Parts: sequence; structure tokens; C-alpha cells
Amino acid sequence: MAVDQDWSNVYPTAAAFNPSSVPLPIRMGYPVKRGVPPPKEGNLELIKIPNFLHLTPPAIKKHCTALKDFCTEWPTVLDSDEKCEQHFPIEIETVDYVSAGLSVRNPKARVVTLRVKLSKLNLDDHAKKKLIKLVGERYCKDTDMLTITTDRCPLRRQNYDYGMYLLTVLYHESWKTEMWENEKTEADMEEYIWENSPSQKNALDTLLRIRAAEKTTEVTREELLASGIVENYKTSVVALKNEGETENNVLQYKESVMKLLNLQALQ
Amino acid sequence: PLPGAVWFGLAPPSPLCGRSLAHSKMAAPLWGRGLTAAPWTRGAFSWFLPCRRAIQTTAVCHKNRAARVRVGKGDKPVTYEQAHPPHYIAHRKGWLSLHTSNLDGEGGAAECTVEDVFIRKFIYGTFHGCLANEIVLKRRANVLVVCAVFLQRLPPYKFYFLVGYTETLLSFLYKCPVRLEVQTLPERVIYKYL
Repeated sequence: MAVDQDWSNVYPTAAAFNPSSVPLPIRMGYPVKRGVPPPKEGNLELIKIPNFLHLTPPAIKKHCTALKDFCTEWPTVLDSDEKCEQHFPIEIETVDYVSAGLSVRNPKARVVTLRVKLSKLNLDDHAKKKLIKLVGERYCKDTDMLTITTDRCPLRRQNYDYGMYLLTVLYHESWKTEMWENEKTEADMEEYIWENSPSQKNALDTLLRIRAAEKTTEVTREELLASGIVENYKTSVVALKNEGETENNVLQYKESVMKLLNLQALQ
Repeated sequence: PLPGAVWFGLAPPSPLCGRSLAHSKMAAPLWGRGLTAAPWTRGAFSWFLPCRRAIQTTAVCHKNRAARVRVGKGDKPVTYEQAHPPHYIAHRKGWLSLHTSNLDGEGGAAECTVEDVFIRKFIYGTFHGCLANEIVLKRRANVLVVCAVFLQRLPPYKFYFLVGYTETLLSFLYKCPVRLEVQTLPERVIYKYL
């Protein structure tokens, strides 16, 4: 082979190893005892393995220059992840399958996954709670991500359209308020609300009775509610119920209860 | 007198009946056919002929003979492919047939294998006596690539005709482009002599 011959002409596409075309002194195989691996002429092991002789760096450069005419530039405005998320909040995920065979079709390729952050959607408090109730398991609280996976239609485009339709319907339905939503009981509530709860009643009753027993100035329920001690108690109880029992929460609760019942001296 | 007539009606003290086989000369436990075919029941059986049918009752443990060339006097030339038995696949040997059907979640492995067997037999017959080694089959997307190493037993124009004939026929048979990548050698490459 001439030294200045273009290698991409010798191996333009993927082809089996040809010992007369490749000028390298390659040996492959397990050597005989006190011998060397067999040479490349007639070596079936070299033919069996897939080779990358058609993908040398100059050949890849040629492929890239040929493909450049069909490419467009990445928009300069989208130079960070946050900007991409801001302009394109919905992420669509699809998988393509390639295999060796006569058919291009693969039934697994019809699955479409839609992902969107609920903070990007225009939802008020009631709409957000209703949407989370409607989707159930598809919402992840830690990442604030709603994931819809559709595969009930035979084609990918149909699944994509169905996914977008689901998102639209969920959004519009969560803004509507039905008649029967007034019957929401305490068991349906997603988080603990302190107003009109037994904890509030008990705390206020206790404080009023303390004040009455000590015969100090009469204070009304509203004033008690507005006072800082009761606010403190309220925040600590709400934190305990909503976030669970952590070290900080329990200590905060202890502090607020001591302040409420004036137990400073027992430190 | 005829042997059959002498023993008719009497039970001879033969080691063929029932459990007394334990005392027979054979080491492996074999159960004879018992009283149904004892030599005195039919005149055709002769007592003196060693006619015995038996069945093996314990586990069989023969030596493994798959794809192995047995060691001889040192005059048997053997190629790399023949010299290595199947347990060396993936250690010292590669695979002769490459396709994606054996991956997780992919189908069509049986069809691929049947096609492979047919193509090997077909090429063995079309290029009879000219094959230096096994055929390597590669499936790349739609294409079936057959890599073969031939001996220079035929003139080149015959080779070209047979290659074209094989490619056309197999393409029509399997409804996909079939490519034959051919190399020729003056003689077979010998790995060692067994």
C-alpha cells in the first residue's frame, strides 16, 4: 500500500478485516507451546471481531464536514440550564430501539414520558392541592416534578398527543371548584392547619383559665391569639405535625410550651 | 435333540431370570427381559447364542465429545477453530455468528440461528472443497455479511460467478441484502498437529 494513500478509501464503510488491505503486522490468537500467536493471513479470529478501521479520526472529520451543511447553530440565548427550563418547562422523553434484523419496528418505542415542574404552571393554592390529589403517585414532592408516562396508544405521536391532552385537562380541572368540594373533611387535608383545631381550643382555654385563676386583667380570645407566645406555640405545633419529629422541632416545641405556661423557673 | 424341546415345561437354572442377575459377570446393573423372552419359551431362541437385551438403570457418564478433535499420532493437521473445544469460546475463540437477538429484551434468536445453519450448509455445498475454515456471519442493521476464507482450488472467474450466484440467491431467499466478503489462501492455515 502506498504511504500517502487515503485510508478512508481503503475502508470507506464497515467491513471485515482483510489481511492484504491492512499493512499492519498483527497477530491474534492463543500461541502454540513455545510459539507465537498465529499471523494475520487466514486468521479467522481477526475476521470475527468487529473492527473500527472505517472510523479513523480523519474519516470522522470528513463525515462531520459533510453533515455540517444540514446542521443549524444552537441558539445563543439558551446558554444555561435555568434558561432552558424557563423557556421550555415541559420535558419529553422517548426511546428509539435499534437492532439487527429485517424490521425497524419495536413496540417498546411507543412509550412517551412527560415531565413538568408544578411551579412553572400557573396554579393557586386550591388548584395545586387539587392537581396533586388528581395525579396521585405521579407527583414527586421532593423535586416538585409531575411525571406522566403514556403507552396506551400504538404510535408514539398518539401517545405524545394524549400526554399533552392529559396535562391540559388536569390544569383546567384543577382550577374549577365543584359543589362537592365543600364537603372536604379534616381527614382529606394534606397538611395540618392550626386555626379551628383542637390544639388551638385547648391552648386558649388553658390560658384563659390561668388568667382567671390569677385574677389578672381580663384578656379576650382575640388578644391572646394575636400575642407572641401563642404565635410561637402555633408555629412549633404546625412544624411538628407537618414536618415530623426532628431535633429542632421538638426543642422549639419545648421552648414554646415553657413560655406559654410560664415555666421558665424550672430550667 | 433340539435344545428347545429339552427344556420345554421345565424352568432351567438360567442366570437370565429376575434378580439373580446380580451374580452375573457384567459389572453394570442390567435387568434382563425376564420370563417373557426366556430361551425355553420360543423355539427360535437358542440357549447357546449370547442374545441378551438389557436397559441401563443408573446415570450415564460418557466423555464429552462436542466439537473436539481427539488427539492422535501427531499427523492430523488442525486449524485454530478445530483445535479449541467449545469451553474456550469467549476465552480463546470469538463467536462465528454476530447478531443482536441474544441481547436482553430482543427477539428473533431462533430465526437467526436457523438462517445461520442454512447459510453454512449452503455455502459448504456451493463452494465444495474450497472452504479453508468456518464461515463468519455478521448481521449489521438490514445487511447480512458472510465472511468466508477460500482455498485457491478454482480459477477466479468461477469464484466470481459463484459469489454472485450466492449473493443473489440468498438475498431473494431472506429478503435482505446479502454481502459475501471473500479472502483466498493458497492452502489451509495449520495451527497444530494432533
